Order: sequence, then structure tokens, then C-alpha cells
Amino acid sequence: MRHAFLQRDAQVIYRLVPLTSSVFAVILSVVPLQVPGLAVAMPAFALMAVYYWTVYRPDLMPPSAIFVIGIMLDVLDGTPYIGLSSLTFLILRSLILVFRGRAANQEFALIWAGFFAAAAVAIGLQWLAICLLSMTPLAPRPFMFQVLVTVAVFPIADYVLAQLQRRLLLRV
Amino acid sequence: MRERSESTLRPSTQRLLAQRLGVPFLVLASLLLIVLGKADLIMFERVRVAAADFVAPVLSALARPAASLASGVRHVEGLFDLYQENLRLREDNDRLMQWQAAARRLASENTELRALTRYQPYGASFSITAQVIANSGGAFARNVLVDAGARDGVARGQAGMTGEGLIGRVAEVGERTARILLLSDLNSRIPVVVGASRQRAVLAGDNSAEPVLLFLPGNNAIKVGDHVVTGGAEGVFPPDLPVGVVASIRGDEVRVAPYAELARLDYVRIVDLGLSAFLPQPVPAPAPRAGPNRPAGLFQR
Repeated sequence: MRHAFLQRDAQVIYRLVPLTSSVFAVILSVVPLQVPGLAVAMPAFALMAVYYWTVYRPDLMPPSAIFVIGIMLDVLDGTPYIGLSSLTFLILRSLILVFRGRAANQEFALIWAGFFAAAAVAIGLQWLAICLLSMTPLAPRPFMFQVLVTVAVFPIADYVLAQLQRRLLLRV
Repeated sequence: MRERSESTLRPSTQRLLAQRLGVPFLVLASLLLIVLGKADLIMFERVRVAAADFVAPVLSALARPAASLASGVRHVEGLFDLYQENLRLREDNDRLMQWQAAARRLASENTELRALTRYQPYGASFSITAQVIANSGGAFARNVLVDAGARDGVARGQAGMTGEGLIGRVAEVGERTARILLLSDLNSRIPVVVGASRQRAVLAGDNSAEPVLLFLPGNNAIKVGDHVVTGGAEGVFPPDLPVGVVASIRGDEVRVAPYAELARLDYVRIVDLGLSAFLPQPVPAPAPRAGPNRPAGLFQR
């Protein structure tokens, strides 16, 4: 009896793994890593987490969680555009669910390519939105750079999140 | 390789359907927040400040290993060009010796002249060193969060500096954190004085590494290499803090390369002439420490 309860509690905690790992990604993206060459833009860690969990476990990454992650990111980033990240993440989620199909069984190369498209769409949308909101044509180069850096770092995030998924979420 | 079996990946269709209904609502909520944020509500600032204060301990804990990692990387970088660095330093040293002699002569001359004119100098009435515990990760916001806030005497409008020069202005102040809007941020506007002609202008960030000068008259005598310092008269900064150097002039577009390395900030100094008490303070802060020459500094100009 007791054992069953414990198991159910553990299940609840495990179900929160996608959300907590994404929150960690949000915090990681504001830590001053000062990596030379990454001065222009940090990799968008939160984007990686949102993409990963939407592709592999959309049931554990509901729109409400994505909304919260986006708001947290904007608040911590100190941007005047609170809500922009949640908006782009939600759009991204819909796109992923449309194109996902049986993506979860695909080769990593395809997942990676998909992430390239996802990052380009998400960061491109943000660039467009900020140009419109601030009424200034912003140089697109830092944004393109952020897409490339984010895509380059994705395999590491994928490995870490896959480990989490395999160890904690296989039976959830 | 990876055990992602199909059975665990198929979410129940019911659940997905329920989620689908939530999406339009959340998208609308996001849009509403963006529009409200554009209206620059004080509530939003409060939320940002409270959030920053809340996660500050976590960020401080993470910033420390990050800083030591960064310094390790710098050490390794330094090893590669030790020889070049040594040559450069020797040249620098020769040049600086000459400057030292010049400075000594000027300092004594200055003291004499000040005595003659009974000049009362500006002095920063407040100065504190703080560690950078977070920087904006996105490609579109340029700010840093430091681990000093209202309880340490930090207030809006104070200047953030490194040893090299100005980095930006304190934009938001929480109890134990403060956010410094960097020179390069889209919303940064700082009154400056350019070159020997003391041309007044406004330094405006545009998200690139080199902010632009606005409101220059058409027939200015500005040239590449001119030094840019803070203007001060407009009442935000102590005057004559080093900002940067004119890096390029293309038609009307004059760009300034900041002296401070904005992308690599670990510790910053926050200085104040005593004017911040007169700027609007949306988030209640305790009275800043009174400096001995605060009123003198304010009314002198």
C-alpha cells in the first residue's frame, strides 16, 4: 500500500522533469558564462528544452508549462517585451506538433535539422517582433549568430535531456 | 541507441485535445502582455525586480563557478600570446612613463590653478563594487544584473563602470539586486561630450557592439579617434567619465567603441554624483547615503 503511494508520488515528480529541466535551462541562459566568442548572443537553452520535450514528450510539456517558461525567460532577461518568448514558444509548439509525425523514432540528424528550422523560426520571429515593437530596423546578424550558436550547442542539450528522459521518464 | 519506444511517446488524444483549447487563450495572454509591456507599466518593472531578487541567491551561486571558468579560459588564451603581450607591455610601459611625467606636471599645475580660482571639484558621493550575477541571454536585450541593490545604496540613474569606462546606467533596483542597462541596449540613451571641441550628443544603443551618436549638428568637427565622455549636465551621470572612442564615421552615422568590454563583465563599480535622489523612483528604495559634497555637486552647474 505504502509502496504504491510512494510510486505514485514519484510519478508526479517525474512528470515534472520536463518543466524543471526547462526552468533550469532558463536560469542557465542568464548566467554570465563569458565564453569568448559567445559575446554577441548566448545559446538559447530554453528553446532547446522546449523543443526537445515537445518533440519527445508533448504530453508532459503542455502549453501552460510552455507559457510559464517563456514568461520566466522574459522576466529574468530583463526585456521590456514580457510575453514575447512565450508567444514564440507557443507558435513553435504548434508547428512542431504539425510536423512531428513520428519524429520521436527518427535519426538524431533529422531531429537536429528540425531544431535548426525551429531555432530559425523562433529567433526570426523574435527579431521581426522587436523590429516592429521598437520601430527600428535591427541588424539581423546577432540573431543569425544566435541561431547558429544555439544549433551548434543543441547536441549537448539533447544528450543531457535524453539521459534524463531515459533514467526518469521511461515508465511515466 | 536510445530507448524511446513508441508506446511511451503516444500521448492520449484526449489530453492533446484539451491542450489545444488552451493554446489560443495563452497566445492571446502573451500578446496582451506584450502590448501592456509596451505601455511601460510600473507593475512590470516590479515583477522583474521581484523576480530578480528572488533568484539572486541561485544566480550568485552559479555566477561564481562561471567566473572562475571564464578566468581559466582567459589564462589559457593569455598563454598563447605571451611573447606578443610582453612586447606590447614594454612599449606601453615606455609610453606610460612619459605620461606619468606629464601627469605629475599637470597635477601640480592643476592644484595651483585650483587654489587660484577656489575651484570646488566634483566627487562621486557614492561608489560600490558589485558582482555581475546574470546577463541577458537573448540577442535583443543588453543588460546585466548585479548583486547589489537598494539595501547597499544603489539607486536608479547611477552609473555602472569598469576600470576602463562606463558600461551603462542603473535602470531597475531591487532590494539586493540592480539591473544595469548597457550602452549597447536598444533603450539606452546617454548624454555625452565628444572630442576636444566638447560637442554635445546623445549616445544611443542599437543592439550592436558599437552604439551611435545622435543629435550631432551637421557641421561638427568630430573625427575617428575622438574620446567620448559622459555629459553630466543633463543630470544623470557624473560628468567626464570615460565612455569610449569614435570608431567610425559613415555619413551621418557616427559609431563609438566603448572602452569597457561590455560582453565580458564580472565586477562593476556603481558610482553616483548624488543626483539619483531626484530621479523618479518607482520601486521604493531607502534613502541613499548622503555624501558630504552632494548639494555642492548638484548646484554647481
